[in-house]
This record gives sequence, C-alpha cells and structure tokens, in this order.
Amino acid sequence: MPLPLPWPFEREFMQLALLAGVLVGLSAPLIGTFVVQRRMSLLGDGIGHLAFTGVAVGLLLEVWPVWSALLVAVAGALGIERLRAQGRASGDLALALFFYGGIAGGVVISGKAGALDANLFAYLFGSILTVTRGELLAVAVLSGAVIAAVAIGGRLLFAVVVDEEWARVAGLPVGVLNGVLAVLTATAVVAAMRVVGILLIAALMVLPVASAQVLARSQRGTLWWASGIGVGSAVVGLVAARQWDLAPGGTIVLVALVVFLVVSQLDARRRLGVVARAVRAVRRGPVDAPDPVLAGTIHADHRHTHEPDPHAHEVHR
Amino acid sequence: MAILSVEGVTFAYQTEPVVEAVDLRLDPGEFVALVGPNGSGKSTLVRLVLGLLRPQRGVVRLFGQDPADLDDRARLGYVPQRPALAAGLTATVEDIVTAGQLARRGWWRRADREAVDRALEAVGLSDLRRERVASLSGGQQQRTFIARALAGEPELLVLDEPIAGVDAEAQRRFRESLVHLVERGAAVLLVSHELGAVAEALDRVVVLKRSVRFDGPPSELAAAGVSLGVHAEDLPLWLEGIR
Ligand SMILES: Nc1ncnc2c1ncn2[C@@H]1O[C@H](COP(=O)(O)OP(=O)(O)OP(=O)(O)O)[C@@H](O)[C@H]1O
Ligand SMILES: [Mg+2]
Repeated sequence: MPLPLPWPFEREFMQLALLAGVLVGLSAPLIGTFVVQRRMSLLGDGIGHLAFTGVAVGLLLEVWPVWSALLVAVAGALGIERLRAQGRASGDLALALFFYGGIAGGVVISGKAGALDANLFAYLFGSILTVTRGELLAVAVLSGAVIAAVAIGGRLLFAVVVDEEWARVAGLPVGVLNGVLAVLTATAVVAAMRVVGILLIAALMVLPVASAQVLARSQRGTLWWASGIGVGSAVVGLVAARQWDLAPGGTIVLVALVVFLVVSQLDARRRLGVVARAVRAVRRGPVDAPDPVLAGTIHADHRHTHEPDPHAHEVHR
Repeated sequence: MAILSVEGVTFAYQTEPVVEAVDLRLDPGEFVALVGPNGSGKSTLVRLVLGLLRPQRGVVRLFGQDPADLDDRARLGYVPQRPALAAGLTATVEDIVTAGQLARRGWWRRADREAVDRALEAVGLSDLRRERVASLSGGQQQRTFIARALAGEPELLVLDEPIAGVDAEAQRRFRESLVHLVERGAAVLLVSHELGAVAEALDRVVVLKRSVRFDGPPSELAAAGVSLGVHAEDLPLWLEGIR
C-alpha cells in the first residue's frame, strides 16, 4: 500500500526510491567528508570497483549481491587501509592494482556467471526505481550504520584525520579508527550501489563535500551542508528523472555537480566583488556606500573576502 | 617520582645512531628546553619519549610506565613540529582545540568549554576561534596546535619547535601559559631554536647533538659564555662549535 503522498511520489516505487535516495544522500557525503579530508577521495572509486567484483561473485554463487559486495568491499577497504598505513597508497600504483583487479575480476566472474546483462547494469549504473522493499531494508541498515557511527564517533574520526601522529600520542585507538573509517566507507558504497550505481558512487561521496567545503567553516557545518546537499540532490534528481524520464542515478549526480558548480561560482563572484570594491576604493579615495548584497556576504563570511582560501576550488581527488 | 626519565637511550633509523646514550630526567614543575642544531636528533628523542618510536637500547619511563602502554594518555600533551594540515580541511580553530580534550574527557562526554576557552585565551586566538584553520597564517596555525595541547591540561607537555614563526606578543602569552602550567606542577619539555622569549622561566637547558652535550641551568650555560636571550647569535654559534 503506497502512502498518500502527492506527485511525483504517489506510487509505491517512487516512495521506496525516495527513502533509498534520502538515506544514501545522507550517508555517502557524511563518510565522504572524512575521506576527502584525509585526501583519499579515490577511495570511494577503488572500493566501488571492488564492490563490482563482489556483485559478480554474488551473481555467480546465486547469493544476494548486496551481501557478497559488502564482504568483498569491506575486505578490500581494509586492504587499502593497510597499504595507506604503510605509506604506500599515495604511491598510487598499489591503489591502482585494487582498481584494475576489481574491474577485471568483476568482468571475468560475471561473464562466467552468464550475467553480463541488465541485471548487472542495475548495479553498475544504479536502478533506484526498481528498489524492492527488501533492498530498501538493506540500504536502511547500511546507511543507518554509517549515520550512527558518524554521529557517535565523528569527533574521534575527525581527530585522527586531522593529525594521526597527535591522535596516537593522545591515546586514541588510531589503528581501529582507521579500520572503522575504511569499513564505513565500504558500507556506504554498498548502500549507494543500487541508487547511483558503482560507477558514480564516488561522485556522491565527493561532490556534496566539495560544495560544503566552500559553504561551511566548521567541521560540524561541513557535515550538515554535505548531507543536506546529498539529500537535496537525491530528491531533486529523482523528481527530474520522473518528470523527464531520465536515468535517475546519473541525474542525481548531475544535480550534485550543478550544485557544486553554482556554489564555487558564488564563491568566485564574492571574491571578484571584493576585488572590484578594492579597486574602486583606491580610485575614488573613500569607499562608496556598500553594495547591500555584497555587504551581507562580507559579514556572513569575511574570511572569504579578505583571505581567499586557495584550496576552496580544488576538486579533491 | 620523575615525570620523565630517559636512561642510556640509543636509536638509529638505519645503522648510524641518531640519538646515542641519552640520559634525561624531568621532575614535576620543571621547565626544560631541549636545543641542538638541525638534525641533531631532537625530534627523534621527542618521538622516543612519546612512545612513537622504541629505543634500540636504554629505557624510557613516562610517569613510571613504558610510554607505549601508558594508560592515562591525558597526562601527556604534545605539539608536533609543523603538523601537516590537509589542504581542504574545513574546521575552525575551535574544532581543533576541542579535539585536545578527547584524551581527558573521552569521546562520549562533552568537551569542557572552559578549558577550551582558557587554551584559546592563552595563545591569543579567542577572537579567531570561529575562523577556518586552513585560512590562518602559519604562526596562527601553530598557536592553534599549542592550544590543542593546552586544552588537555597535561602533566607533561612536550613541544617540538612550537614558536618558530610566532610573533613576539604571542610568544609572551605562550611563555605565560607555560609558566602557569609549570606552577601547577606540570613539567614542560620545549624543543626550540629561539629561547629568548622563555629564557628567564627555564629551569634547565639540555643541549643535544646525538648525545647530551650539556644539561644544567641557563646560568651555567652563561658561565660557558653562552647567553640565551640577549645575543640572539650566541646559542646557534655555540651549537655550531660543538663536535
Ligand atoms: N623517519 C626518518 N627516517 C630516517 N631518518 C630520519 C627520519 N627522521 C629523521 N631522520 C634523520 O635523523 C636525524 C635527526 O633528525 P631529527 O628530526 O631528530 O633532528 P632535529 O634535531 O629534530 O632537527 P630539526 O632541528 O631540523 O628539527 C637527521 O639526520 C634525519 O635525517
Ligand atoms: Mg625536529
């Protein structure tokens, strides 16, 4: 029985999609914030590729691909974390081996399973409109775990991501926390798999965070903005997909991308505005009456106006 | 009981020892400076003291325990040398300083706002508390990390070149906060090339160049013709001369 919601969410499949989208829109950017801060934005991609192998294994063994993907993704994430801890993941080759291995393994195994078909595409490109109640439950459990973990242990993860050596001296369980971060990333990837697809998971982990880093100043603000933008992109993407009959996974990511482009544009305009004002001030002597819009932004966030952050536009990879 | 004792400690990253047969002791309420030319092993000794490295020979004791399995880490405060800050880090000064309370309060309890306020006040960052750390100057970032260590209200504070690039006014505040800590019975081990700001407050100076070359009050160093404060060149020149 569908709930009595207005268009476009009047049908049950749209309601299931909405819930899945909101959950993933929340959880992926939340954990993505820590991944980006650790400058491991590639991690989402890497784990996504491994999840592909996991899906293929599930199709071959005829178990639910969500579980096999979770298993392979978690194992892979812990493997990547080991490499990173040994200082080898930044010498990209080791990380790349996981990527290539994940895709190649996935292709070979799904070929063996005779499953190089639409069923597999649902995981590669996402298929949120066909999410079943059972799958929604899995998405809810996985996303819920990520959200709860960040809510409870976010301060610890933050301390470790900022300065690992200091965290070690402070007696924080750095190894365990790094492992937890890796497992949570894998969990968020698997949750997002049916929503935006393996190929676009990393985008949902990184794009809202990149926007949030322009808009927010504090750690807490970043988490709120990132998850807000994630949820907003999921909802808007779903509506647009329904309205114009678009592929929902790609649409959701395109919305997040547009948000980022707009946000970074605003940021650039704000700076240009300040430059223009400074030039005018120099030319005319006394500063003329402040532009009300600009004045608002200056008070809201004078850091940007006086000291532009050279990294605000970096897309973290 | 000594807060810190280092006995006959030797450590090599590869084959050549970087730190050799070092003895060092800090008692409660002692303010000790560790000096030495670049590459003389200061940071390495600090890492040995903190339990980040293990000595190949000799023993390190923190509060009578092996530093690697010290159970109450909140007793230990640390300011790393030039901490690498993730470029895109969106965090305020307050976020970083509040993290300094994790060891003492645990992650399940709210941070002690007053301790955070005091720490910010001590380094003169109260006005910038809601600014992004990544947008601050190098010296202001350094002060943020000093405040993070102060926020934990440690019994032993180890600082690895915390005042490189910190201006005179901030150095004065910095000295005051260290003196305040020492008066409450904590011990401070300060690695620095610039001792002018703290010279008067120091109990001892330890000169390290692989091994300990001098360990005594600043007045004895002065007797050897080396002043810490007045002639900024004295100490570096003298250090150069040590073989
Ligand atoms: N991780 C490392 N691996 C190998 N060698 C190292 C490592 N860290 C330091 N060293 C070497 O050990 C020696 C002592 O280094 P250390 O960092 O302890 O010196 P320092 O006294 O702190 O110097 P500075 O004044 O420049 O901070 C140097 O020769 C350095 O090259
Ligand atoms: Mg050093």
